[in-house]
Amino acid sequence: MLLAAEAAKPYLGVFAQGMFAQFVLMLVFAFIVWFMVTRAKAGMKIPEIRKINGLEALDEAIGRATEMGRPVHFTPGLGTVGNAMTFAAFGLLGYVAKLCAKYDTRLIQTNADYVVLAINEEIIRQAYLEAGRPDAFNADDVQFMSDQQFAYASNVMNMFQKEKPAANIMMGAFWAESLIFAETASFIGAIQIAGTASTSQLPFFITACDYTLIGEEIYAASAYLSKEPVLYGSLVGQDWAKIFVFAVILVGTVIANFQAKGNWLTTILKK
Amino acid sequence: MRKELPMIVTVVSGLVVVFSRYFHYGMQLGLMDTLDKWYLVSSSFAILLGIVNMVKIHWGYIRRRKEGWWNSIVLLLCLFGYGALTIQQTVDGPQAAWIFNNVITPGDSTMFALIAFFISSAAYRAFRVRTKEATVLLLAAVIVLLGKAPIGDAMINGWGNVADWIMNVPNTGGFRAIIIGAAIGAFATGFRILLGLERAHLGGTGAK
Repeated sequence: MLLAAEAAKPYLGVFAQGMFAQFVLMLVFAFIVWFMVTRAKAGMKIPEIRKINGLEALDEAIGRATEMGRPVHFTPGLGTVGNAMTFAAFGLLGYVAKLCAKYDTRLIQTNADYVVLAINEEIIRQAYLEAGRPDAFNADDVQFMSDQQFAYASNVMNMFQKEKPAANIMMGAFWAESLIFAETASFIGAIQIAGTASTSQLPFFITACDYTLIGEEIYAASAYLSKEPVLYGSLVGQDWAKIFVFAVILVGTVIANFQAKGNWLTTILKK
Repeated sequence: MRKELPMIVTVVSGLVVVFSRYFHYGMQLGLMDTLDKWYLVSSSFAILLGIVNMVKIHWGYIRRRKEGWWNSIVLLLCLFGYGALTIQQTVDGPQAAWIFNNVITPGDSTMFALIAFFISSAAYRAFRVRTKEATVLLLAAVIVLLGKAPIGDAMINGWGNVADWIMNVPNTGGFRAIIIGAAIGAFATGFRILLGLERAHLGGTGAK
């Protein structure tokens, strides 16, 4: 006797299975951000953004390094170019490089990914060009050390002991090596500004660094530092999107308390 | 075209990823897999960039007899020596595997072990009762540390439950809030890149 299984019904939807709700949410967030960007482009008033102490301290940190005659160190962490945190680091690096060019302060930039190395070298070169100091750019200060986590960490520790940077800026994706960087820089007396969205490493940065950018603050860095109204608008849009998410969470919490299984909100969000 | 062409490639790639992820037809076409393969191939070539960078810098250190220049000789010998060995016998070859298991892996473990001491020194500096926040941090740390060790429950029955509550409720809540904010921030960054507003990766100070 043959037991024939019923043939699987072909899926004929437009959207991939389970992706409709995500797509709609993505459109909602995109609309909110686009709306605020359009308001800013039109010159309409947009809400102010609060001060982010870590970003305000960048000038102080680089100024301190200039006065002490010691270099500035910047690392984008171990993330690859596909990591959003590494993209956030690119924006900050351009600003830091331009300041270092302006103050004639040496910038040592270490990398754990070769693709990121190539991008960072170009960012720094361009920043020095924009600052009117192309002659001051030193390609040997943009270094690939290792793509292995602890080989990179030990290389950076060695560089800290040799070069003794006065400012250590760590922005991007970090893992266990974060505390190694932070403590070693602390031992040599560097002022430290760190930022990551890796929740497991945030406690280490907060305890060991002078200023820490937490989570979304690193994504605000390039917009915040450029002070362009259009980019400011995208930051406000980001905040409104967060308010929308919290409203959904609040509604969901209330509904779940009265109707634990099969409530309409979870049904919609699973589509 | 120096900045426009990379921007066009970025925007088109981003739209292809959105189409492949959210639409059934996009998934069936397998464009994401194709993009991933292209990325793997191009990043494999990019390894050469890293090697050239390392050789250029360390050769400069050797030529200028910079302090510790003999370390650069060791590095270059290891780089090309191990590279040649793995080409000759693959990474699973006897000598290559032995070097990895008996030199590189213990080195990684040593560095990882250092973190325990760094945590202690960071905690010593952080847990000083100078501000309200530092006091709260210290109290929470003491409760959780004792609660996770058997001594907490031995001293006061139920101490472990308090520690678990701190980890599962306020701590997890805080972490999830950070994750939600970071996820929206990452989305906004990606959206700015797709709109061409974010140009940091193209060089210079970034913003349009």
